[in-house]
Amino acid sequence: MSDSSAAAAKPQKPVPRPSPESAPYWEAAAQHKLRVQKCNACGQHWFPPSYRCPHCTAADFTWAEVSGKGKVFSFVVFHRVYHPAFEGDVPYVVALVELAEGPRLLTNIVGISPDDVRCEMPVKVTFDDVASGVAVPKFTPA
Amino acid sequence: MNINPSTALRDKCAIVGIGNSRLGKVPGVSSLDLLVEAMVNALDDAGLKTSDIDGLICRGPDDAYGHHQLIGARLGINANISTTMDNGGASQILSIAMAVMAIEAGLATTVLCGFGRDAWSRTHVSEEARVRNETRPDSQRAQEFGPEYGYFGAVAAHAFGAQRHMHLYGTTRDHFAEIAIAFREHALRNPQAQMKKPLTKADYDAARLIVAPFGLFDCSLRSDAAGAVIVTSKARAKDLKQPPVPIKGFGSFNNLRGWFQDDNMVVTAAKQSGETAYKMAGLGPQDVDTAQIYDCFTYMVLTQLEDYGFCKKGEGGDFVASGALKMGGRLPTNTSGGQLSESHCEGMLQIVEGARQMRHTYAAERQVKDAEIALISGHGGNQVCHSTLILGRA
Repeated sequence: MSDSSAAAAKPQKPVPRPSPESAPYWEAAAQHKLRVQKCNACGQHWFPPSYRCPHCTAADFTWAEVSGKGKVFSFVVFHRVYHPAFEGDVPYVVALVELAEGPRLLTNIVGISPDDVRCEMPVKVTFDDVASGVAVPKFTPA
Repeated sequence: MNINPSTALRDKCAIVGIGNSRLGKVPGVSSLDLLVEAMVNALDDAGLKTSDIDGLICRGPDDAYGHHQLIGARLGINANISTTMDNGGASQILSIAMAVMAIEAGLATTVLCGFGRDAWSRTHVSEEARVRNETRPDSQRAQEFGPEYGYFGAVAAHAFGAQRHMHLYGTTRDHFAEIAIAFREHALRNPQAQMKKPLTKADYDAARLIVAPFGLFDCSLRSDAAGAVIVTSKARAKDLKQPPVPIKGFGSFNNLRGWFQDDNMVVTAAKQSGETAYKMAGLGPQDVDTAQIYDCFTYMVLTQLEDYGFCKKGEGGDFVASGALKMGGRLPTNTSGGQLSESHCEGMLQIVEGARQMRHTYAAERQVKDAEIALISGHGGNQVCHSTLILGRA
């Protein structure tokens, strides 16, 4: 196998495949903005995306930019490689971050050793440009 | 919403046949044939023929469409009521609850319930399958909000709950180890168990981390396994071969808002499901002599013990460290070794073991002495579905 074919075979990390409901979320992320749906009827934010508010079932919402601030609700540290593209990343942190506005997002905590991550730790959003026109929101200590 | 579980259903029906397939590594046998094997064993145990069965409620791997039809065709059964369940690992108890309801509604007289899967074989067909450790088809896996972060699998999903519980209550991996070691001790008394070697605290501590806080021995097994039971009315049960194991109560609850919402990862749906089952049975946690708890991961046992009221929320660590789960302890739990050490059959083998304990036919070293009441739990469906079964002594 030549070097070039070896490079071509290098496993790639999965790139998010948006649904019609989530497309606005990913379009905002590509511009390094964190937007989630906010209900125009009851005022609450929600995530993951859906066409109706899970708090009051209204179908009237705005894609609202949020502060990007939150805290770690809980987290796990991957030691096992489940996907070959993450082989160089272990151990890495996958966290559930609770945004100041309420919704919880699954994400990575970056810029800190996995040993130092704690529940309730304050964090803020950062964006990882993973492919052309695709950025993934991650979080870092605030 | 306040519900009013029917105490009229208490002791109306019974488990009259119990069976399991070969367990562990059974290469070359499909999930369907494993379940057929368990069901034939349950029929033999009950002294019934397939023509006696008029209800079939079962489940298999998630990609087996029309599963109950496939099983009915293999066994040559037509049924008044027949369906495949869709409540994850809570399905197996729910199928028994449905059987009782169908019998009491006059829709069926004798219902065959079971679950089988070939998870060891599926995850060992190739190195890629083993690494992915995934038994679901691609179409059922997330396309966003997970894989891009390297988030895969059930280990991580449950580990979130373990981490949160540790944060809130000071629970430690030493507590999780108590659970793994107790169940392994039970498995060593069970010749059918997949795991044959003793497990020490040193083994637990030395094992590789999978998704922290879970290490290897916090995780249940990949197994080829099936189990089945037969439910009929207590009146009809009197004429059958085995002493009937009375169904005293059942319950169900589903935190459908999601595992990541509210406090669901530390206070599971076992709480409401258990309250329902206790009400139907007219019993409480103090009456339970043995528990068969859905142990996909060590932590899930700890939190369910709290949610079922065997100790207070946050005190599960102390409870398991007291030795309560071992034979001779306050609450001998997963007495066949459970999914951590016997075989993982999505809760079906918990039902099989609970019913066998209530028959009191085991040799002394496996029998929970004088046990009158067994509580069995089912958990699954993206961690939010739960079911509870309470059995009485035959």
